[in-house]
Amino acid sequence: MSLKQKLISIVGEQYVSDGLAEKYVYSFDMTENPPKRPAMVVMPESVQQLQQIVRIANKDRVPLVPFVTGQNIGGLTIPQVDDAVTVDLKRMNKIVEVDDEAMYAVVEPGVTFGHLRKYLDEHNPSLTYTYPLAPPYTSVLANALLQGLCDLSTMRGAMGDFINGLEAILPTGEIVRAGSAIMGDGNWFGRYPLPDLVGLFSGWQGMSGFVTKIAVQLWPKKQFTRHAALFTFGEVPTTELLKRIARAQLIDDADCMSLSIVKMLLGVSPPVQVYGGEPDYGTLLTLSGNIEKEADAKYELIETFVEDARKNESRQLLVDWDAISRMLGDQAKSWVDFPSDAFKVLTEYDGLTWVGTYIHPKHWGEALSGGRKIVEKYGFELMAYLKPMNSMHFGEFKFIIRFPKDDATVEKVRHCNEELLDFALSLKALPYKTPVWAAKKLQQNADPGFVELLKRIRKTLDPNGIMNPGRWGL
Amino acid sequence: MSPYESVIADWLHRCNRCGTCKYIFRDYGPSCPSGEQYRFESYFASGRISIARALTTGEIDWQESLLKPTFACTECGACQIQCMAPHREHIVEMIEELRSLVVDKLGPLPPHRAIAESISRKHNPYEATHHNREIVQQLNLPDKADTVLFLGCTSNYKETSVRDATLSVLKKAGINFTVVDEYCCGSPLLRTGQRAFARQAAEHNLEAFEKAGAERVITSCAGCYRTLSKDYKKLGFDLDIDLLHSVQLVNELLTEKKLKVTQQGSIGRVTYHDPCHLGRHMGVYEEPRQMLGVLPVEFVEMHPNEKNAWCCGAGGGVKSSFPELAQATAAIRLGHARAVNADILVSACPFCKRNLSDANQGQVAKVLDIVELVDLAT
Ligand SMILES: Cc1cc2nc3c(=O)[nH]c(=O)nc-3n(C[C@H](O)[C@H](O)[C@H](O)COP(=O)(O)OP(=O)(O)OC[C@H]3O[C@@H](n4cnc5c(N)ncnc54)[C@H](O)[C@@H]3O)c2cc1C
Ligand code: SF4
Ligand code: SF4
Repeated sequence: MSLKQKLISIVGEQYVSDGLAEKYVYSFDMTENPPKRPAMVVMPESVQQLQQIVRIANKDRVPLVPFVTGQNIGGLTIPQVDDAVTVDLKRMNKIVEVDDEAMYAVVEPGVTFGHLRKYLDEHNPSLTYTYPLAPPYTSVLANALLQGLCDLSTMRGAMGDFINGLEAILPTGEIVRAGSAIMGDGNWFGRYPLPDLVGLFSGWQGMSGFVTKIAVQLWPKKQFTRHAALFTFGEVPTTELLKRIARAQLIDDADCMSLSIVKMLLGVSPPVQVYGGEPDYGTLLTLSGNIEKEADAKYELIETFVEDARKNESRQLLVDWDAISRMLGDQAKSWVDFPSDAFKVLTEYDGLTWVGTYIHPKHWGEALSGGRKIVEKYGFELMAYLKPMNSMHFGEFKFIIRFPKDDATVEKVRHCNEELLDFALSLKALPYKTPVWAAKKLQQNADPGFVELLKRIRKTLDPNGIMNPGRWGL
Repeated sequence: MSPYESVIADWLHRCNRCGTCKYIFRDYGPSCPSGEQYRFESYFASGRISIARALTTGEIDWQESLLKPTFACTECGACQIQCMAPHREHIVEMIEELRSLVVDKLGPLPPHRAIAESISRKHNPYEATHHNREIVQQLNLPDKADTVLFLGCTSNYKETSVRDATLSVLKKAGINFTVVDEYCCGSPLLRTGQRAFARQAAEHNLEAFEKAGAERVITSCAGCYRTLSKDYKKLGFDLDIDLLHSVQLVNELLTEKKLKVTQQGSIGRVTYHDPCHLGRHMGVYEEPRQMLGVLPVEFVEMHPNEKNAWCCGAGGGVKSSFPELAQATAAIRLGHARAVNADILVSACPFCKRNLSDANQGQVAKVLDIVELVDLAT
C-alpha cells in the first residue's frame, strides 16, 4: 500500500491531498524563508487518527511537519527535507475543558484565539485568556508552545509560562502527559512539583512530537480596565520609562511601537515616514483594577513616573484613552479589544517578517537604537515593536518588515534580518520563533553543551528523526 | 483584446495568508463555505489567491489537480467582507480571473462546458426551449414599455413560481411593463471563467432593451441583477438604463401603497436569507427587510445575516460541479433558519430558493422567494 493509501485509510480520501495546489500552498509562509513543498498534506480529526499517522511515519521513516495556520513568522511550517508530509491539525479543534475554579482551559491544536475568546465570553465570562497582536485565527496551542507574547505578557511573561500541562504523541507513537493531569482528567492545575517535562515540547517547534492537548492558564477579568497612550522620544529614555512602569507592576500590558505603526493604524498609506519633531514611539498601556480606585491609583502613579521622565525629556507625553477615543471613535475601542484588529496594518503586502528577540533589560535601549540604524540603512519603514516582559524581568523587541515578495525585496529583507540578528546576538538576545537560519547563528554563539543536549534529547525521543526534521538546523 | 485589466497582476503581492477571511471578525463563526467544507488552506480565499499568483509568476504549472480548488468556491464574497488587506474588494474578481486563465489552458469543467453549450444553443443554461415570447402573448404585454422585466433563466425555466409571482405583482401594481426576447444574462459564464461567450449575451440583451424602449430593467434574480449592473459595465457597455432588483421596486410600491396588503392574519414566522449577489455584491440589505416589516409575517433575523450572511451554496458554478458543497452549505443555512424557529425561509433569488429547497430536509416548512410572499399577501 502506498503512503497515500495508508493515510487515506486513516482519515478518509477527502483529507489527504498530494495535489499541486495543496503542495504549493503549504510550501511557504509570509516570511522570506525559502519555500519547500511537502509531498502530501493530511488532516486528522482526532488523537487516535494522529497517533496512527505517527506510527506509520515512524515505521516508514516519513518526515512529518505539524501545521495549524502557519502564521508563526518564522518559516516554521515550511518542510526542510524532501518527501515530508504536512499534518494540518485544524480539524482537531475541541475546547476540551474550562475549569472555572482552577482557571485553566484545555484545548486541542486547532483552537484559535478567536474561538477561545468566543467560548469564554459565552461560558466563562468572568475569565479571560491572553491574546497576541495577531490575526484572531492562529493556534492557541502553537502560540503557547512557541513561547509567544500576548496582552498579559508585561505582567506575566511569555506564553510558555502559561502552560499548565500537555498531552502529546511521541514520535514513536506513544501518548504521554506532562503536568498535574498525569493524575487524570479534570486536574490540569499546574506543572509543579514534578520534573518539568513540558520543556520537552515547549520551544521545540514540533521536533519532539505532536502536542494534542494543552492546558493554559486563564485569568479573572478585572472589573475596571483603563488604557492610555504614551508618546516618547529617544530609545533609551523610552525603554527606561517603560522599565520603571513595568517594574512597579502597574500595567497588565504595554505595546510600544514606532510612531510609523501608529500612523499606519491611523490610515497613512505606505511607505510611512516619520518626521523630525514627531515622537519616536507610541505605547498602548493597559492597566486594571478590581475597583475603579485601584485602576485610577495605578494611572496616577504612571502620571508621576512620566512627570519624572519629563525632567530629562520634556516632550514625553501621557494621554488618557478617553481623549484618544474622542478623536478616533470606534476605531480606538477596536484596537484595545483583543483579539484586536490592529494587526491589519501588517497585512499590507504578501510578505511579513521580523527578527524578534527576548533580551536582558540592560541591553534593551541599545538594542532598539542599534536595530533602528540597521533598518534605516536598508530603507524599510521603521516598525519597531517592544514589550516589557514578566514585570520587567526581560524585554522583547522586534523590527517588523512588511514587504512585497518580489525577488529583489526578499533578498534585501534577508540581508537586513541577518544584520539585525547579528546585532541582537552580540547583545546576547535570544531570537524567538526561530527560523532555521537564525537558529544556526544562535548555535554558533551559544553554549555548545546546550546544543549537544538538544541533539541528544531529540535522538532519544525521535530515533528515526521524523518530527519536523531540519528545524533549528538539527 | 480582453476588456479586463488583470486584477491578479494589480494585487500580486498582497494577500499574506493571515486567515482573517476564514471567519466572521469578532463573531468567530465560519465565513467561507468552501474552506469550511474542504478544510485545506487551498480552499480558502488565500489559497486561491496564492494559486493565481503562482500561475502568474510561473512558480507552478497548469495541472488538472488545480481545477477543484479553483472552482469549488461559490464566489459568495464573504472573504471580501472579512479581509482587511488592501486587495479586499477584488478577491472575487481575482478568483474569476484565475478561473478564466484556467479555462483558457485546461478547458472548463464538464458541467460548466455543458452550461455554455446550452446557453449558446438555447440561450439558457438548462437545455430548456427558449420561450420568452410566449409570456408576452399569454399576458398580452406590449412590444414597447418603459419598464422591462428581465425574467432570468432560473425563474423562467426552473423556479417558475418566482417568475409568475413577479409578473402577478407587477400587474397588480399597474406597472406598464414588458418582457423582451432575453438571453441568459451571462452570469453562469462569467462566474465559471468562460468570459468569451458572455459578451454576445450582453450585446443581445442590451439591444433587446433598447428595442423595447426600456428606461428601467427589473429582475427578481440576484445573479442577473449583479451581472446586468456590474459585469456589463466591466465588459465595456455603457448602460443608460436604471437597473433594479424587484425588491427595490416592490418595496417602493408597498411603501407608496400602490400595492396593498390584503391578507388577513400572519402567513407565518419568516426569516430572510440575503443572497450573496444582492447583499454583499450589490449592497442591497434594507429593502427586503422593510418589505417584511410591512407584510403580515412574524419576521425574525437569523444569524449570521446581511453582510456576514452564510451563502446558500449554489453560486459560482458550484451547484452543477460540486453538488456536495452546494448541499452542505445549504444545509448549514437551513440550520440557521431552524435555530430561530422559522417556518418559512425567504430569499430574493430563484437560485437560492432552488438550492435551499433541494437541501431542505424539514428544517423549515417552506422555502419561498420574497416576491412570492408579496404575491400571497397582496
Ligand atoms: C500579523 C501577525 C502578528 C502576530 N503577532 C503576534 C504576537 O503579538 N505575539 C505572538 O506571540 N505571536 C504573534 N503572531 C504569531 C501567531 O500568534 C502565532 O504564530 C500563532 O499563535 C501560532 O499559531 P499558528 O497557527 O501560526 O501555528 P503554526 O505556524 O501552524 O505552527 C507553529 C509551530 O508549531 C508547530 N506546531 C503546530 N502545532 C503543533 C502541535 N500540535 N504539536 C507540536 N508542534 C506543533 C509547527 O510545526 C510550527 O513549528 C503573529 C502572527 C501574525 C501573522
Ligand atoms: S484574503 Fe485577506 S484576509 Fe484572507 S488571508 Fe489574504 S490578506 Fe488575509
Ligand atoms: S468567495 Fe466565498 S467560497 Fe469563495 S473563497 Fe471567498 S468566502 Fe470562500
